[in-house]
Amino acid sequence: MQRDVKIETLIVMSMCVFGALAVTAFVVPFEDDNTRIFFVGLAAVLVSINVAGFFTVWKASPTIIDEIFLMTPDGRLLKHYTRRLKPDQDDDILAGMLTAVQNFIKESFEEAGGKLKEIRFENYDIFISHSKSIVIAAIISTKKPEKLRTQMRLVTEDLEKHFGHKLTNWAGDKSDLVGVDIIMKKLLAGKYR
Amino acid sequence: MELKELLKKVVLLGDGAVGKTSLTARYVVNKFDDKYIATIGTKVSKKDMQLTKPNLIINLRMMIWDILGQKEYSKIRTASLSGAQGVILVGDLARPETVKSLEAFWIPEIEAAVGKVPTVLVGNKCDLADKGSMAITVLESIGQNLGYPTFLASAKTGENVENAFATLGEMLVAEVVASRPKGAEELPQTLSEAVDFIIQDFCAQYGDLEKAMLIVQHQFEEAAVDIRKPSKDAVLQALEGLAKAEELSLTKTVAAVNLEERQRMVILAKG
Ligand SMILES: Nc1nc2c(ncn2[C@@H]2O[C@H](COP(=O)(O)OP(=O)(O)O)[C@@H](O)[C@H]2O)c(=O)[nH]1
Ligand SMILES: [Mg+2]
Repeated sequence: MQRDVKIETLIVMSMCVFGALAVTAFVVPFEDDNTRIFFVGLAAVLVSINVAGFFTVWKASPTIIDEIFLMTPDGRLLKHYTRRLKPDQDDDILAGMLTAVQNFIKESFEEAGGKLKEIRFENYDIFISHSKSIVIAAIISTKKPEKLRTQMRLVTEDLEKHFGHKLTNWAGDKSDLVGVDIIMKKLLAGKYR
Repeated sequence: MELKELLKKVVLLGDGAVGKTSLTARYVVNKFDDKYIATIGTKVSKKDMQLTKPNLIINLRMMIWDILGQKEYSKIRTASLSGAQGVILVGDLARPETVKSLEAFWIPEIEAAVGKVPTVLVGNKCDLADKGSMAITVLESIGQNLGYPTFLASAKTGENVENAFATLGEMLVAEVVASRPKGAEELPQTLSEAVDFIIQDFCAQYGDLEKAMLIVQHQFEEAAVDIRKPSKDAVLQALEGLAKAEELSLTKTVAAVNLEERQRMVILAKG
């Protein structure tokens, strides 16, 4: 199924089908009431199947991640993944500035050293997940982020377990990151466990 | 020839208006507006450098953090300093007090935050200073005492700007040499080296060294690996056992990633 089709569109379509069937049932002069009831019933059954189907699809469909920044807590970009090419964007600098902004907010508003977890814009959100030596920031423009939040936490924990010992006081050698892609691609595909 | 990609964080520090932002602007291709420094206290830019060593090409990317110079903003500054692997300390040669405060304020502050890291001293605005001025003498003596390379530079004329950054770049990779025995591009050469590396890696990730060694021993016995003269098939079989152990101690995904990495290492090993 095409993920780009909006769930709203599908609902409107199934309403139309129901409408058409209902109209047929009432307008067409059937011989007896039983046939009419049969048609109305058929319409109702079809629509419930439809609605149940869409609901299942909607529940199962992953939140679509537009971009992911995998960073060290000091603001160095480890990996960047994106669905769209953005030629004007410098991902390294953006990762640094994103970290600087977090530092600023943290130091300005939070006494106890809490962490910024979310930045919301009108059209998209940035979710941030932290561990000792890793920060993941995911940019999403779809709704329904609860599952993503859980997945991001799991990924952060797994990356910490696997790469934490190399990334604490990381010397900056990119070859320490072999294997990160396997984990991150799974997250991007919305299939992280 | 080996190729290494390194990513280092460098911070610029010094009193307000000594010319930190102007020096960066001279050296890097700017992307973000300077207004961010006033707004959130920091601007990040980057510069790529290529350095060569025997049998090794290093592509160094320096992320340069220009941090607001006011001494009062110390909390945000400490956060921004975290993880800095190199420092450029800037004083204004036309204002000797800004050079003195390098020693009195900035150097202790950096040492408290990140310890001793490669550092260069820059006396900026040398276009305004006379030769042999007090500021120059003070700066050079600080540099000599601490063993920091010292540059008289000008962001206005461009004199010595590139030089100062390039010197720091070289200091950042001073200890990097070709062919580490581990890593992605330079895999362990022989099968014994690969086995050594895998055992170490397994233990490091497992945490509890003693327990980890017991597991390794057990799995190697099960797979009939002769440690002195290992065969590839036996080692590959032992890897499956280690992966099973990691599925429990770490997670399934991590175990799978490790397994794949180690299998590759063993298959590519000589002997
Ligand atoms: N004559 C001269 N002026 C400079 C030089 N570098 C910076 N300036 C000026 O000094 C002022 C402060 O510079 P700025 O880069 O904003 O300092 P920062 O606060 O350390 O970032 C600006 O007006 C610059 O134009 C230099 O090498 N020579
Ligand atoms: Mg400035």
